[in-house]
Amino acid sequence: MQPSGTALLVVLALPFLGAALTPLVYRVLGERTAYYAAAVAATCLAAVASLYGTEGTIVVEWIPSYGVELAFYVDGLALLIGTLASGVGVLVFTYSGGYMHGEPGQLKYYATLLAFMGSMLGVAFAADLIALFVFWELTSVSSFLLIGHYQDTESSQYAARKSMLVTVAGGLFMLVGFVLLRDAATAVEGIDSAYRLSGEGSMIHHADAMVDQLRAEGLFVPVLLLVGMGAATKSAQVPFHIWLPNAMEAPTPVSAFLHSATMVKAGVYLVGRFRPLLLTDEWTLVFGILGLATMTVTAILAVGASDIKELLAYSTASHLGLIVAGYGMSSYLGAETGAFHILNHALFKAALFLVAGIVAHEAGTRAIDELGGLAEDLPLTAVITVIAGLGMAGIPPFNGFYSKEFLFHAVYETAEQSVADGGTVLWWALPVVGVFGSVFTFLYSIRFVMLFFGEKPDELGEVHAPPWAMTAPAAVLGALALVVGLGGVTGTFGVHLGPVETFVESVMESSLGHGGGEHSFSYYLPTEITPWLIMSVVTIGVGAVTYPFFDRVRDGVRAVRGVAPLRANWYYDGATETLDRSTVIDVVQTGHLRTYAIALSLATSALTLGAYAAASVSLPALELAGLAPALLVVLAVAVVGAVAVAAAPSHISGVLTLSIVGFMVAIFYILASAPDLALTQLVIETLVLVIFLLVLDKLPAFYGTVDKVRAGRDALVAAAVGVTVTVTVLVSTAATPHDVIAQYLLTYAGVPEVHDPIFVDAGGGGNVVNVILVDFRAVDTLGEISVVAMAALSVITLIAMRERGETQ
Amino acid sequence: MTLDREPTVIARTVTRLVVPLILVTAVALLFQGHNLPGGGFIAGVLTVTAFVLIYVIFGLDYLETELLDREPSVRYETESGIVREYGQVFALGLAVAAGSGIAAIALGYPFLTQAVAFVEPLPIYGYLEVASALAFDLGVYAVVVGALLTIVAEVGAE
Repeated sequence: MQPSGTALLVVLALPFLGAALTPLVYRVLGERTAYYAAAVAATCLAAVASLYGTEGTIVVEWIPSYGVELAFYVDGLALLIGTLASGVGVLVFTYSGGYMHGEPGQLKYYATLLAFMGSMLGVAFAADLIALFVFWELTSVSSFLLIGHYQDTESSQYAARKSMLVTVAGGLFMLVGFVLLRDAATAVEGIDSAYRLSGEGSMIHHADAMVDQLRAEGLFVPVLLLVGMGAATKSAQVPFHIWLPNAMEAPTPVSAFLHSATMVKAGVYLVGRFRPLLLTDEWTLVFGILGLATMTVTAILAVGASDIKELLAYSTASHLGLIVAGYGMSSYLGAETGAFHILNHALFKAALFLVAGIVAHEAGTRAIDELGGLAEDLPLTAVITVIAGLGMAGIPPFNGFYSKEFLFHAVYETAEQSVADGGTVLWWALPVVGVFGSVFTFLYSIRFVMLFFGEKPDELGEVHAPPWAMTAPAAVLGALALVVGLGGVTGTFGVHLGPVETFVESVMESSLGHGGGEHSFSYYLPTEITPWLIMSVVTIGVGAVTYPFFDRVRDGVRAVRGVAPLRANWYYDGATETLDRSTVIDVVQTGHLRTYAIALSLATSALTLGAYAAASVSLPALELAGLAPALLVVLAVAVVGAVAVAAAPSHISGVLTLSIVGFMVAIFYILASAPDLALTQLVIETLVLVIFLLVLDKLPAFYGTVDKVRAGRDALVAAAVGVTVTVTVLVSTAATPHDVIAQYLLTYAGVPEVHDPIFVDAGGGGNVVNVILVDFRAVDTLGEISVVAMAALSVITLIAMRERGETQ
Repeated sequence: MTLDREPTVIARTVTRLVVPLILVTAVALLFQGHNLPGGGFIAGVLTVTAFVLIYVIFGLDYLETELLDREPSVRYETESGIVREYGQVFALGLAVAAGSGIAAIALGYPFLTQAVAFVEPLPIYGYLEVASALAFDLGVYAVVVGALLTIVAEVGAE
């Protein structure tokens, strides 16, 4: 069924509209803006829900001359991410109402969070590569703003910069990949729009032809790696996982929303979306290894964590690794793993983050060692934690168990298949690593759950009960996780949780592609002994045996982590600090306006002249001979004036001589029969002269002595700009366009010979220039006066309001 | 801006004579712009030059103390006073210009379609041409005057 355009418009436009209106709403509602934002999210959720069961493309033209369109595609995967973004959004906004009480910068917080939600929904539904990229980067920008919410703290600034640097750099790699893909798509028959990723007549629709074309051009592996780079940086895959733990500087609702349930899912979404297009042996190798390595390394790091949010951050990276590994596996089982675990992970991890927020808020600390026995004071939170934490550990019958079982199944089958096809024995490393990493997952999950049990440390003061706005969202997520988990139990007895299974099936289909065949999705507790069941048993068994020695394992992890060259952070910090200290900065970033002006002028000149050279534009011959003597005199005076400007000893005389040039230009216009231009030039020249003189009051009267090197450099820059402008004028005036436009304007500008008392089809004015300004090209003029008004506003802001500082 | 010495009597007298002339010329340019050289932009800039002349010769507060007969506004104060009024002028101009376009939409034409009406017969003139573009041009005029005067007043106060 074709999706409804209105619903999609609501989904994509409402969050941005809501963000734009936030300042107004905040004035009226104050802290209760949280519930306004929650209402916006709920409307989006309803609109997403109305799209269930539909599939298809909606296209709006965007930049037709480049073949770029705003194309949106609705299918299972898009709906899953859309549901997460808006659904978790509702809960997080409600939660923020309690959590953000009394915090600074709430207006910015809600506006950014809403804009983020819109960008994430855009990522989910975009079917055009350019649109996808734009929304993708918007999520990075809003994440940057939200991580840096506490603007004045050093660590927030560091964390925000780091996440920006990593994710945006990855996004640029991805963009190169997109451009290469487009290049290949133009050569494939049947693809209507070369940037279209999914839907009818798109790249995924012609996946086999695309892969052949890419291979023929030798671009397949580069594209795979470039797109993988985008996904890996966004989804915090090893070694780019470093930004995620730092991102926990953000307020906890942001961590729950962006850094567990949605934004980091953009990377795995990309993997799931490109899977039908690029699924090959190389794909399995790249994403299988990437995913399993991330899952294991970050699970180990999570065990070494000392802060509950740090633990959850590493664990998020680890589970994203699991999803990536699932999508990496070639059979339908891979798609099944990825699809189901995206859902499960979002449910239990968002719940756990909200729990972490409650703990930090009510107990006043996030240090793991200082917490314990919280169940006494926070009974409901404890129940939620048990459900979500055991799901995270992969213990039956909680939800995480089923998707982990799917992963073990997929990994085992892939290894068996590859070895049977003559691959090396090394393939068996996949299931072994999978189990090894899962043991650590088990360990840290149980550690997190144990925060609520055992002895309550004496130092831990009184723990208050959290407000309902904070417990309710966590409870909803916990309940959903429980329902999904119990659905597997009932599924064992033949009573399946219909809606969830159908939904996951549609998500799975998005990543299967056309060659995938039909697979229905259902999940239940294992009823027979299989290798993958044994893998789960081994995981839980080893985990349970090791848990009593948790402290020793943790100390071991910390000891290994202490070795600098083993940490990805060591490289990141080293590189950024070296750059900071290097002398390049002193030359490039002087903080002087002139440095930037030189760079800007030279770059513009070089690019323009380079373009002329590349297009081999020939210079027209100068025809001075035919000019009227009066014109020659005027031009000669202007040239003398220009020379005088350069030779002027002071600012005042410089400005005065400069106006000689200006007035000569005005006379030139008069001689060339352009009275309107001349008038404009005259009045503007006068006004500019006065404004210049006003400003000059502030500057030293004389230039002082100029050192030769600098004068030479300035002369060079000036000459370059002068040559560029001259060449541009000569080239552009030499080209004579068709005079169709001129004829049209002349015909319609005046009063027609036969006319009604009132008419709209002609300008009715004798002055063609003015009729063009106010009638034919009135929109241009409207734009120009808006710029003038904006300039005045900037002057007010810069000069009159500079003393005020930020008023919030 | 403070001058070291008072402007000469000649400068003051000439300014008194010239400013009204400039303003009348500006208005003439504004209205004749449809058929002869002129138009909202030029007229606006010319009007601003007249004001600038007053500012330069008589100082920043002269406009308010002598012409408007009230206390001069506090420097850098944007919530009230003359800068606020300039702000209202360009905001109003922008609204008039955009509004004239929206009026066309309301009548079923594309945005910013302009119409011309001939009112005839009239005594003496015979006929009068009324162009809806004049409303747009008035908007342009108001924006230019308001915005440039804001800039001049703010930078001048510096």
